[in-house]
Amino acid sequence: MKQPLDKITWLDREKLKPNNYNPNKVAPPELKLLKISILEDGWTQPIVVNPDYTIVDGFHRWTVSGHKEIYALTDGKIPTVMVETKDASQQKMATIRHNRARGTHGVLAMSDIITSMVEEGVSGEDIVKRLGMEKEEVVRLLFRSGVPKSDVFKEAEFSKAWKPK
Amino acid sequence: MARARQKEYIEANVYEEALDRIRYLYDTFDNIVVNFSAGKDSTAVLNLALIVSKEKNRELTVNFFDEEAIHPPTIEYAHRVCVNPLIKFNWYCLEFKHRNACSNEEPFWYCWDKEKEDVWVREMPDNCITSHPKFTKGMSFQEFSSLLPEKADGLTAILTGVRTQESFRRLKAVSTKKNDNYIARESHVAHCHPIYDWSSEDVWLAVHKFKWDYNKTYDIFNQTKLYNKFLGQRVCPPFGEEPLRGLWIYAECFPEMWVKMLGRVKGVATAWRYANTELYGVGKKVKPDNLTYREWSAVILESYDTVDVNKIKKNLNSLIKRHYDKTNDELPDEEVHPLTGTSWSFICKISIKGDFKGRTGPALEGNAITAQKKLGINSFDEAVRIYGSEEYKNKRFKNK
Repeated sequence: MKQPLDKITWLDREKLKPNNYNPNKVAPPELKLLKISILEDGWTQPIVVNPDYTIVDGFHRWTVSGHKEIYALTDGKIPTVMVETKDASQQKMATIRHNRARGTHGVLAMSDIITSMVEEGVSGEDIVKRLGMEKEEVVRLLFRSGVPKSDVFKEAEFSKAWKPK
Repeated sequence: MARARQKEYIEANVYEEALDRIRYLYDTFDNIVVNFSAGKDSTAVLNLALIVSKEKNRELTVNFFDEEAIHPPTIEYAHRVCVNPLIKFNWYCLEFKHRNACSNEEPFWYCWDKEKEDVWVREMPDNCITSHPKFTKGMSFQEFSSLLPEKADGLTAILTGVRTQESFRRLKAVSTKKNDNYIARESHVAHCHPIYDWSSEDVWLAVHKFKWDYNKTYDIFNQTKLYNKFLGQRVCPPFGEEPLRGLWIYAECFPEMWVKMLGRVKGVATAWRYANTELYGVGKKVKPDNLTYREWSAVILESYDTVDVNKIKKNLNSLIKRHYDKTNDELPDEEVHPLTGTSWSFICKISIKGDFKGRTGPALEGNAITAQKKLGINSFDEAVRIYGSEEYKNKRFKNK
């Protein structure tokens, strides 16, 4: 059977336009992570558009594709696939399905995976930076596995010496 | 603290009775002030006080302590109350200290912090009070509001919307005295709780029946999974130990403010993701397999900065001391001790939540009672006879 992914087309990002109903809000930390994701891993998924180039899924990836560094990766071209939605409602449903059909990460599994990265030699700062996490999140996930903060976030400097006044 | 008395139901309904209490306050005190949070409970107190102030042709002062990161409809509601000509409305935007339970690195924050104006979640409203000779940065609004009344102006009653349905601590606070039980007087200032016996349903009934204006944040709560869950619908600063479990409401319903909140204090993104999980001390007891709870508590405490951790340790030490004051038994690792209600696993739970106020006392009692029931022990005295140290038994039973 023919699938949308059979034909990936690289288009100038300017050719695409956002839909006017997308309910998905992405806060700055996740937007930043999306940027890191494309910069580190490259384009791994196409943007889904309908025949008049309205975005069905991938609005936020399209948004960050305008950022200088990402733009430079592909000279402003982005991968797209086309879906033929029969009416406006079907298109909206397609958007919602793309947005919502994903899981959440279990606490324990996240804790294990972060701990294993630490064991593999990744520094706490690196996890914070490359996963767009707060230090708080990394510290809590680690203490869940029994790993003390000081094992991972090493104080760079000695503390101040003192004498009685 | 004295023991709480039993409830005795009376003829009057809560609405009539609350009005009578406020009439009594107007007759007894020179000044009446409502501490208004814009929440539903203070809405009830405000409207009741307005009725009585009109009856008696007396003044009504309302103090609103604006805590910066508040739901947008709360602000709109405060603006509507503010212009009521029958009220002397004081809108305070001061640097109150609040708990930030999202973060172990930054466990407190100051609303309207003058040093952080660039990251405030909203602009300060016009005509608000931004400094006061009696205010110093870091006070709580409760402390400050007690300092506000001048002795020269006579006796002042500060009315609040405290209701006993909300917690045992509050129930105890209004159940120890037989007369004037809802009035706690210190010098020329009294804190008064005229709607202490109201339920959430009573508050909403009054709002609808008398068509009182109210904070439309509640309508938004009712459009979410908090529909009709009155006790989960809280209008208060968002980063505290309990409130952080409702951060998702800001993210879902007020995305513009949410973006600002993410940058306001540390840990918000983390708490939003994990507030209702074990990473914030919610749910079943779980620990790493390779550690005991005792060892794990040290790992958790290490995530706090030095100054803050000392405050938490002080509370934990007193828990441990209270345990050994009563028994010679080793503090258990997992199951709580049937006499003292403490265990290292309980200490881990408190460490994760970061109990800075030492509010764990009532929980201990509950823990102990549950443990006693499990073991078929029917009274505290029986538990003392089985588990108590000789010294404690002597102390406990010497007068009996």
